[in-house]
Amino acid sequence: MKSMPKLLRRFVGILLLASVLLIILNLILLFLFTVNQTSNAHPWKTAEEVANELSWNTNGYILSEELALELKEADVWGIFIDNVSMKVVWRTDNLPPSVPVTYSAADIANLTRGYIDGYPTFTGEAQDGLVVLGYPRESFWKHMWPSWDYQFIANFPNIFLKIFIINIVFVFIIYVSANTRLLKSVKPIVDGIQSLPTKEAVYVSEKGVLSELAVSINKTSEILQSQNNQLRKRETARANWIAGVSHDIRTPLSMVMGYAGQLENEKHLPEEDRKKAEVIVRQSQRIKNLIQDLNLASKLEYNMQPINVTKQNLIAVVRQVAVDFMNMDIEERHPILWETEGTFTVCLADIDRDLIKRAVSNLIQNCINHNEQGCHIYVCVTEEDGKSTITVADDGVGTSEEQIEKLNHLPHYMVCDENTTKQRHGLGLLIVRQIMSVHNGITRIGRSPYGGFSVQLILPTKNRDNEIKNLKK
Amino acid sequence: MIPYALKEGCLHTLLRMSIEDLLRGTQMSIDYLKQKRILLVDDEQELLEMVVSILNQDGFLNIRTAKTVKEAVMISETFCPECAILDVMLPDGNGFELMERLKSLSDYPILFLTARGEDEDKFRGFGLGADDYMIKPFLPKELLFRVNAILRRSYKDENPLVKLRDSEIDFDRAEVIQNGRHISLTAKEYAILAALYRNAGRIVTIDALCEAAWGDNPFGYENSLMAHIRRIREKIEANPSRPVSLITIKGLGYKLMVGEK
Repeated sequence: MKSMPKLLRRFVGILLLASVLLIILNLILLFLFTVNQTSNAHPWKTAEEVANELSWNTNGYILSEELALELKEADVWGIFIDNVSMKVVWRTDNLPPSVPVTYSAADIANLTRGYIDGYPTFTGEAQDGLVVLGYPRESFWKHMWPSWDYQFIANFPNIFLKIFIINIVFVFIIYVSANTRLLKSVKPIVDGIQSLPTKEAVYVSEKGVLSELAVSINKTSEILQSQNNQLRKRETARANWIAGVSHDIRTPLSMVMGYAGQLENEKHLPEEDRKKAEVIVRQSQRIKNLIQDLNLASKLEYNMQPINVTKQNLIAVVRQVAVDFMNMDIEERHPILWETEGTFTVCLADIDRDLIKRAVSNLIQNCINHNEQGCHIYVCVTEEDGKSTITVADDGVGTSEEQIEKLNHLPHYMVCDENTTKQRHGLGLLIVRQIMSVHNGITRIGRSPYGGFSVQLILPTKNRDNEIKNLKK
Repeated sequence: MIPYALKEGCLHTLLRMSIEDLLRGTQMSIDYLKQKRILLVDDEQELLEMVVSILNQDGFLNIRTAKTVKEAVMISETFCPECAILDVMLPDGNGFELMERLKSLSDYPILFLTARGEDEDKFRGFGLGADDYMIKPFLPKELLFRVNAILRRSYKDENPLVKLRDSEIDFDRAEVIQNGRHISLTAKEYAILAALYRNAGRIVTIDALCEAAWGDNPFGYENSLMAHIRRIREKIEANPSRPVSLITIKGLGYKLMVGEK
């Protein structure tokens, strides 16, 4: 399955993106949750502020009214412990009775790290003592042992990065292994679906979590196989029927053509009778061509015609067809004029020689069939931009623009899926189109510069100079 | 030469021929190729009669016919044919097997004349050594051309001098005789002339002539061919700049006109 690495890449990309987004999301959430919280440093700062604001007068220590009000509103109590006596020499009015008024050094150490009777306490150093603020119970959580290994703190960014990377790798491994397992179970299903259009029989193991899908694919494959077989049988039968009829008609037609051909040249027959024989010969030949065309058209249509593509000189192939017609004594009424440049002698292309000969023959025969009064037939091979063009044109009666449009765009009734038997054009052109299609070429029908009808067969060709050099080697 | 045998069934065809035709036939009998013994095998009696009459009209009078493989083998043992025209589908076998049996008795040219037009049949026929393969229906002149061509090709060693308007070609000695002078042909000239002679009276493409002289893939030899044609004309034509025997068909090929006229 070609898409497996692509899927994995996409999964990894999604994972990385999700990780980054997750970090950003967490930071935002952290911010949102902490934005309304009291700053950690706030009580310490307040304690220092109180220590600075606390002043001595004759009545003792006093605090500014503003600060005292602020403490009261926050339900914070405060004391000032004298450095010398280790006793409380100032206190706020809301001091709980459970708070001691005398302190030892150990008490001071304890209250600095922790609590007094559950009240989180914060200290501020004043000139002659220590200010202690007590915040309401459960308003702050205090870390009792706030010390860290120095190396840990010094290398904290590195450690953080390593932990982060290990986390990412761990998550990545879990993610990829989980997805790979999933993809492995999906792979036969995907392979099965991809194989369905190839017309080959498909079987997917009906096990695992996706067994229902596998069963459906297998059933679909069976139905397609059965339909293909039916279609192939029908097409083969049709092609065989046409081949059989065309075979059986050949021998009787041989006798018609043979005897009529003899009579045509029988000098002792009256001129009128010889002309009648000539008509029989001509019409027999049309039937002969029709049989051949019908047989080939049906084979090409049902892909039963073996295609033998080899490297050929297109000029030689077309020239042989022109000469074959000239050797058939048609020159009198339908002279063929070779219009290919004299210096252009080699035009290599990968073609089925017999089929291309057949296509060109059909075009020349068309010129003859449609111009019984006679016409010049111009045959030409040209090459431009890696494409070679065989042109068969005439100066005969030609056809209307409307008819040319139809010929270029409407399919022959034989290969048309509409319910019509309206004759749009002869089998000859259908075969030409089919042959061009086999060669990835184009058929272009139009008016001839000589005044009649023109058909161009455009084929992809090889690089001429290199190919000729290679062949000469 | 008196015809070796003439099948009774086609005697009436011969009788139908006018005195003029018979005279023409007599003249043709001078042509050594027309004296060749031809075996014709097809299961259709009417087709046999028609082909015999076509061949008779062209001067071939040594013809025997058979409708089955068995009959064909039997006739060939006594008739000793020098050419055979066979159908592929016969009541007691097929033409391919018959060809192998006939070739085992004696090697002579064989032409298939059949309604089976599939490529594989053609390839099989040629693969077994057939000299030509014609698909029905056919025009009499096409059949005659092909029969004459394979006879000319197969019996060229027996060939007396080929007469042209101003000279004669002796293929045995590879030379041209003009006004009593014997002029040798080079190997290439011989190959080109032989290819033209096999298709006497018909256009042979430049490509076919190049292939005859230089083998497969004869690209870029057109100028060399023109040079050889010029030299051949100097040997066979009285006036090479106005050729009458070796005619150029512009852009397409050349045609060799055989005969004194």
